[in-house]
Amino acid sequence: MSMVYINIFLAFILSLMGMLVYRSHLMSSLLCLEGMMLSLFVMMSVTILNNHLTLASMMPIVLLVFAACEAALGLSLLVMVSNTYGTDYVQNLNLLQC
Amino acid sequence: MNMFSSCMITALVILTLPIITSSTKLYKNKLYPYYVKTATSYAFMISMIPTMMFIYSGQETIISNWHWMTIQTMKLSMSFKLDYFSMIFVPVALFVTWSIMEFSMWYMHSDPYINRFFKYLLLFLITMMVLVTANNMFQLFIGWEGVGIMSFLLIGWWYGRTDANTAALQAVLYNRIGDVGFIMAMAWFLLNLNTWDLQQIFITTNDNFNLPLLGLLLAATGKSAQFGLHPWLPSAMEGPTPVSALLHSSTMVVAGVFLLIRFHPLMEHNQTIQTLTLCLGAITTLLTAICALTQNDIKKIVAFSTSSQLGLMMVTIGINQPYLAFLHICTHAFFKAMLFMCSGSIIHSLNDEQDIRKMGGLFKVLPFTTTSLIIGSLALTGMPFLTGFYSKDLIIESANTSNTNAWALLITLVATSLTAAYSTRIMFFALLGQPRFSPMILINENNPLLINSIKRLLIGSVFAGYIISHSITPTTIPQMTMPHYLKMTALAVTILGFILALELNLTTQGLKFNYPSNYFKFSSLLGYYPTIMHRLTPKTSLTISQKSASMLLDSIWLENILPKSISYFQMKSSTLISNQKGLIKLYFLSFMLTMILSLLILNYHG
Repeated sequence: MSMVYINIFLAFILSLMGMLVYRSHLMSSLLCLEGMMLSLFVMMSVTILNNHLTLASMMPIVLLVFAACEAALGLSLLVMVSNTYGTDYVQNLNLLQC
Repeated sequence: MNMFSSCMITALVILTLPIITSSTKLYKNKLYPYYVKTATSYAFMISMIPTMMFIYSGQETIISNWHWMTIQTMKLSMSFKLDYFSMIFVPVALFVTWSIMEFSMWYMHSDPYINRFFKYLLLFLITMMVLVTANNMFQLFIGWEGVGIMSFLLIGWWYGRTDANTAALQAVLYNRIGDVGFIMAMAWFLLNLNTWDLQQIFITTNDNFNLPLLGLLLAATGKSAQFGLHPWLPSAMEGPTPVSALLHSSTMVVAGVFLLIRFHPLMEHNQTIQTLTLCLGAITTLLTAICALTQNDIKKIVAFSTSSQLGLMMVTIGINQPYLAFLHICTHAFFKAMLFMCSGSIIHSLNDEQDIRKMGGLFKVLPFTTTSLIIGSLALTGMPFLTGFYSKDLIIESANTSNTNAWALLITLVATSLTAAYSTRIMFFALLGQPRFSPMILINENNPLLINSIKRLLIGSVFAGYIISHSITPTTIPQMTMPHYLKMTALAVTILGFILALELNLTTQGLKFNYPSNYFKFSSLLGYYPTIMHRLTPKTSLTISQKSASMLLDSIWLENILPKSISYFQMKSSTLISNQKGLIKLYFLSFMLTMILSLLILNYHG
């Protein structure tokens, strides 16, 4: 496996760790989610371009679209939480009602 | 060639002169009401000439003077039919209107728009004359609509009062429903008989005239306030008393009955329509007589009395006696107008008090009004040899001896006794006993305008029945022989009604007030008919239209089907099945630990 792939894979693992391990702000896990999407996008584009998988060129675009949708969803949830509590501290999410 | 047609046209033209001069300086004059009243009296005297010619020689005329238009094969022209019905009705109507105009010169003398009031009354009279002398249905319809519009303008005379506006609108709406029937009859005649002329309608034979006669019956129901379209008549008492006396007792409300009388050659052979008319009239007369028993406004009692007598006229048409119904129209005009004028005199003297519970003891204070009220009530109930007797007793006799619906006959008799009951109620509460009004008013009935007008109608109420019934040409043969108990029926039920009402009124004077029973509530809320029809029907149609306009498209399709249903479902299911406690960090950490552990362990599997 060439260096590029390892690099981008490492970026992905780092963002994953960042998403799973965070202290108080919900925003940080959302940011790391974006980072995961970004590294996936780059890895997918590099693979397709290097191996001339022309017919699969549409896939990064599709990935981008879905990433945008999911980012919007995550942000709306964040806004809902911070509407009620004023901040996005994770310790506030102990009540099932927003 | 004699002066029959000339005199009649002269009389009608004299009536229109004050209207034509209303654009000149004459209209602003203080004496304009006097001119109008004099014009009406001259028209009455001139119209007596053709009437006497008709009585002497039986001459009938049709004046057809102006060809208006021809639509393909139908010719429309302006034509006047001066036959038995119109020749006798026109002088009667003009006489009554003359007295009412003189009365309203006293009643409305403090009104700043009295000139306009007289102009409206005169316009009403002209359209009524057009209606009565019409020879084709188009001219009749012009008169029909004209009296409807003038009724609207006159009921809402005091337009600052909400109740008056509501009552005027109610009158127009109910009349409109009847007009639909009239137009249906006109359309049928146009399609099947190709004409609107009465002569041509009566000579063409057809198998059944059910549909146009149903239309005419609906028109009569609307205009003459029969059951189903009757609430406008008691509400029309919001207008000034001269309006009630002229329109809603003698002249306008008989237009519906007059229409059916005009079409009697068609109705003679149609048993279905006769039965319908009979039953409708019987229901009307009973229901309105019941409602009159517990009203407290003196004008409303007289209005319900009018409605009851109109039902009696419909019953007469239903037993195939159109000439008797017409006789009752003419005699009824006299005493009903006089009853209204007496109540107007009482109301004005008591400083605009209309509630009979606040009158009393007027026997000594208003002697002339008392006399005329009592004579009018006696004439109404059919006291032998007063005016009402000549028409009402004949009607009851014919109904008793004809092969008719026994139920309709029975309830007509009950309504006759109730007539006596509520007349006793008016007389008892308004005239007898101790005064219940405030003692600080000056009661004065000395005005010659008031006295003369009531005096004329009083003489008419006493003698007109005799004069008219002995002057007219014989028409249908009245029933000559009948068992004596049938002959005495009308008199017996009337006396029964009088005695019962008097006893009840005297006995219940000193009692404790107890809460109204269900029968009382039925009677005083007019049989619940206005309450149901005026609220339920509009509410239903408005609700349906609102729901279908806003809820159907906007609310349901655009909002509720996808977005709101999804969010609702999600919230419901998530609250139902989630048992998590929101420990996100713990979940994330455990996920990461599991990933690392799996990577480590599965790497060394060999």
